[in-house]
Amino acid sequence: MPSVTLRGIVKRYSDVTAADGFELTVNDREYLCLLGPTGAGKTTALRVIAGLTVPDEGTVLFDGKDVTSLEPEKRNAVLLSQTYSLFPTMTVADNVLFGPDIRKVSEGDKEQMLVSLLDLVRLTSRAESYPRELSGGMQQRCALARAIATSPDVLLLDEPLRALDARLRIDLRRELKSLARTLGLTVVHVTHDQDEALMMADRIAVMRAGRIVQVGTPEEVFNEPASPFVANFVGQSNFFTGTVVCSGPDGAMVEDHLGRRVKARPTDVPEGQKAVLAIKVGHTHILKREAASLHGRIERMLFEGRVVHVDVDVEGVGRFSSKVPLSYHGRYRVGDEVGIGWNRNKAKIFPYPEGGLQNELRVD
Amino acid sequence: MPLVELKGVSKRFGKVVASSNIDLRIEDGEYVTILGPSGCGKTTLIRMIAGILEPSEGQVLIGGRDMDGVPIEERDIGYVFQNIALFPHLNVLENVSYGPIAKDAGQEEQRTVPAQYLGLVNLLDRMKMFPSALSGGEQQKVALARALASGARILLLDEPLSALDARVRMDLRYELRRITKDLGLTVLHVTHDQEEAMTVSDRIVLMRRGRIVESNTPEMMYRAPKELFTANFIGETNLLDGVVVASGDERTLVELRDGSVMGAQPGRFEPGDAVVISVRPECVRVADDGLSAVVRSMSFMGTYIRITAEAESEDILGFDVRVPRGRDFNIGDHVHLGWSMESALVYPRPPGGIAEAVKLE
Amino acid sequence: MGSGDGLLEFVSGKGFRKGWTTFNIAFFLFFIILPTVFILTYAVTDWSEIRDHVLNDPATMDLIIGAVVVSFEIAAIVTVIDFMAGLPLAWMMARKEFRGKQFLDTLIDMPLAVPTAALGFSAAIFWAATPNPPPFSLAVISSPMVLVILLHVVFSYPYMVRSLTAILGGIDETYETAGRTLGASRLTAVRTITLPLFRAGLVTGAILCFARSLSETGGTIIALATLYGRRMVEGDFHTGPTLIGLWKDASVSDASLLPALSFVSILLILLALVLLLVLKLVIMRVRLPMRKVWPTPEKLLSRGLFPKLKDSSALLFLFLMVLVPSFFIFTYVLTGTPSQADWGPFADALVTSFVIASVVTLIDLVMGIPLALYIAKNRSGKLAQLLDVLVNVPLIVPTAALGFSLGLFWSNFDPNASVPMVLIILAHIAFTYPLVVRNVVGAVEGIDPAFEETARTLGATPLQSFRRVLFPMIKSSILAGAIMAFTRSLGETGATLAVVASANTAPVYIVNLVNQQSYYLAAMACIVLIIISYMFMLLLRRFTREEVV
Repeated sequence: MPSVTLRGIVKRYSDVTAADGFELTVNDREYLCLLGPTGAGKTTALRVIAGLTVPDEGTVLFDGKDVTSLEPEKRNAVLLSQTYSLFPTMTVADNVLFGPDIRKVSEGDKEQMLVSLLDLVRLTSRAESYPRELSGGMQQRCALARAIATSPDVLLLDEPLRALDARLRIDLRRELKSLARTLGLTVVHVTHDQDEALMMADRIAVMRAGRIVQVGTPEEVFNEPASPFVANFVGQSNFFTGTVVCSGPDGAMVEDHLGRRVKARPTDVPEGQKAVLAIKVGHTHILKREAASLHGRIERMLFEGRVVHVDVDVEGVGRFSSKVPLSYHGRYRVGDEVGIGWNRNKAKIFPYPEGGLQNELRVD
Repeated sequence: MPLVELKGVSKRFGKVVASSNIDLRIEDGEYVTILGPSGCGKTTLIRMIAGILEPSEGQVLIGGRDMDGVPIEERDIGYVFQNIALFPHLNVLENVSYGPIAKDAGQEEQRTVPAQYLGLVNLLDRMKMFPSALSGGEQQKVALARALASGARILLLDEPLSALDARVRMDLRYELRRITKDLGLTVLHVTHDQEEAMTVSDRIVLMRRGRIVESNTPEMMYRAPKELFTANFIGETNLLDGVVVASGDERTLVELRDGSVMGAQPGRFEPGDAVVISVRPECVRVADDGLSAVVRSMSFMGTYIRITAEAESEDILGFDVRVPRGRDFNIGDHVHLGWSMESALVYPRPPGGIAEAVKLE
Repeated sequence: MGSGDGLLEFVSGKGFRKGWTTFNIAFFLFFIILPTVFILTYAVTDWSEIRDHVLNDPATMDLIIGAVVVSFEIAAIVTVIDFMAGLPLAWMMARKEFRGKQFLDTLIDMPLAVPTAALGFSAAIFWAATPNPPPFSLAVISSPMVLVILLHVVFSYPYMVRSLTAILGGIDETYETAGRTLGASRLTAVRTITLPLFRAGLVTGAILCFARSLSETGGTIIALATLYGRRMVEGDFHTGPTLIGLWKDASVSDASLLPALSFVSILLILLALVLLLVLKLVIMRVRLPMRKVWPTPEKLLSRGLFPKLKDSSALLFLFLMVLVPSFFIFTYVLTGTPSQADWGPFADALVTSFVIASVVTLIDLVMGIPLALYIAKNRSGKLAQLLDVLVNVPLIVPTAALGFSLGLFWSNFDPNASVPMVLIILAHIAFTYPLVVRNVVGAVEGIDPAFEETARTLGATPLQSFRRVLFPMIKSSILAGAIMAFTRSLGETGATLAVVASANTAPVYIVNLVNQQSYYLAAMACIVLIIISYMFMLLLRRFTREEVV
């Protein structure tokens, strides 16, 4: 039985539509990431589940029961806000035990709960500190302990790692995920960071402009994007515009106005239709100029640590990017003429988006 | 003569030491990133250069001139704030024009310069709009244009991208470097994001707890960090406790906690020294023999899979495999891990332990 | 489980909450707003009376128009003076850190602790050229208008400085710094960036200041009485409120003054409301010159001697024009000639004042907090916005007119005014209630709604979430509002007199003493009142400083 289901959720404010009729199902014990740019409506979705925002239309079901008009305090769906909202007048211990206190849990049980929770989030020595005395990472862990203390049916995290340093974020991702797994929690985690979503989610729901554009496992969303937007948002992609030619069971090609042809996996888009090919930056390779149908000059190389990001200026197309491992670094220089190629099964063909490619890829 | 120089600069707020004995030289035209965790003193540093804060000790020199007593408005620096700070009551064009107007530049200049820089960031069509109508990324570009339009030769960027979405950040990064390099400006860019630092800088200055830990090109900081903190902070790495067994010109042999002996780069060590090995995940390979470990978790990272394994020594190692190979592994599998000697670096073990030495907060 | 829980369930229920909110709003409208503006209905119901006895009587009209015009002139002058003197000080408080800042903070608020009657008397004997001026006094002022201006400057000063400080504190200094990094001198940055952002706050400060001066009754009466050396009569210099005070007093025996009394009140109220609306619009529309920059002179003024001069003059002003006149009364006690006193009646009056102040504050809290919560949490609702505006009305209406209107309103229900105490309490509630509401609204608006929302998702009902989460965070603001209300009630003179001419509160007692020229006794009484008020002010400071958020 799925834990949470949202159906046909619509929410409009005077100048913006935060939710434009979307559906979402979160399964029991699942870690679902709601991924999308700022303003996509992710926080609204979270608030609708929590009961803090009442949708204009649509239903919210918890384990099959309609809770659309049920008050937040009766839902057992705990929200952890971006700023953690630790109650400033209470100590860490009081904060963590807030939920159990309300539920009138016995003193003995509360004691036990506190000890094990603080141990879990490594804040045992800080039980009597006040939130303002804690660092960012500690505050986040305290907020987490507080949320878990009530054994929520679903844990709602609103960009929980956003306020932290980049480095800390990476470390805490692992902690958060393992905590959720150990406790068997159902989690809906909102983020704008695709790395985070890929790393943490059992399933990812990509949102944009109040709608859910794709739901799937990280592999599915990464390798089988439903639209050019998803192809570029979850892992950067290169795009090649042209017309579909030579479509068959082994694959298809796209030909541009200069007669160049590039290969992709089989597609449903009919031959002769204007289309765009998407290939992930990480799936392309730099080749000798003669070995590829697309070539150009290296216009920029950006050091990213484990890899070097290479931008090639392909004539008539624009920028095509690739990554080379650090060990290959010395082989190429800015200005070199190189080719770009890829395994045809990694490339996908989409119908050319209405409104143009630029518009489709916009993130703000 | 370096364009910006700090000599023995310290800054105290009451009892808190924000900066401690900083020596720094920035040459004309350099793009330098000041990188470090929150609270390391990086923002304090550029504020002292800007004149927003006065150092408790030491000298700040710009163009060879001691800046003691020189107010902000006379230092000829451009500053982009973390939280943007566009004047809400002025539209985009008026914001960008503020510099030339405040300096009472000629009529001609007041008219052409702002439009020129707005064009540079591709926001001419937003001229008449007010800041609140723009997205985060657009606001930041306007802030950049505004700082540039004031004609400053030195640009100070205070975590300019931190408030933006991950995707917008990536796009804007390249723009920052491209525009400032094209204009031949000197840039000091403060950030806590090491990936950002690596991509945009000529040189990275890594700070921790008010001090400069290390300073070098991004590549050197990544390939050959001199300090353990650097090795951990920049990029990802595996850190393993061990004791030196043999030390030579070509390699160092280190015995790890579970008894296995692994090779690493040569260094000035004596047998018996307590050390730490640092080897990056992309350099760790599954081998026939080597460190014995059990697969604990696997994460899909898009173009590779990160596998975490626990060795008998209880060290946790991460290593990467290409996506198709991911099917060969399952949680609980026993594997042997190894690496080439050149890819492993050795450091003296810090007295307080590894965790303390690389701690971020 | 049990009946206790059952009750709690009921109280937390939606139905009860709606009912309670409606009751609160009804209380506010009926007990506070309606009586305050009731007098305006007289313009309709008693139009013929007013037309015959007032509009057609040139002498009375002259008197009234003259007094009202003078009131507005004084209020305008006072607002300008307080702005110019208060801005540098507000700047120091909002932007700078220096030793003794806490102390300065206390000093600025001091005039609030001094009851208006006491302050009027103290300022008067300091400034006024009376026949036998006490030692150390300046005694240079013989013009009643100037005296009143000087007095009102003192009253309004804390309101202006506090409003400005709060607004300045709310404007991120980063904007100014950004301007300076772009090459603007400090003065240019302030003028072109901070001041425009400041405008909305400026309006609030100016309105409060203007209204306070327009409204001021008790202190003014005493000051003028001291200057003249006797009770005031019709031929004297009058402000609108003093005229009301005089006529209210006289109307006890002469009912024919009622139309005139009504007319003055109506005029004052209407003009005040209209002018304030105009003020708000004007200040928001005026475009300050931005294009014009004068870098060289502005640079000069930004550094060196000028800022120091500006700060020292502001401090000098505070000391000489505000603090010394307020506390001059203490020296008077030392140098004046003692006289025998019967402290019995004063003690009675003091007790009465305390009882009234306590009851008033309690009712303010119980009825005001829920309304404040409603306004703060329903920001987008039309009703909440309307209430937000209405709450300020009793503050703007001159206390004398307010008292009079209130008295008339309640006399419809109780023609013999059988329990004057109740009337006084109702009058005091009218102008202290907004203080509590504004404080609480301000505090709640400053708190991220995420706190309570998180509490709700953790299982807390709205009531539990208020009690455990919100209340601790606004506790000190509630207390601040309560203490403000208490001291205001304790010190209020004009409204008390206007609603029940024979009232027996401590400030009224002082007024009578002054009218009888028992100056020494009046001074002693003032001092006692000041000390008590000041202790409460200290309490206020202690609690607001403990603010955790």
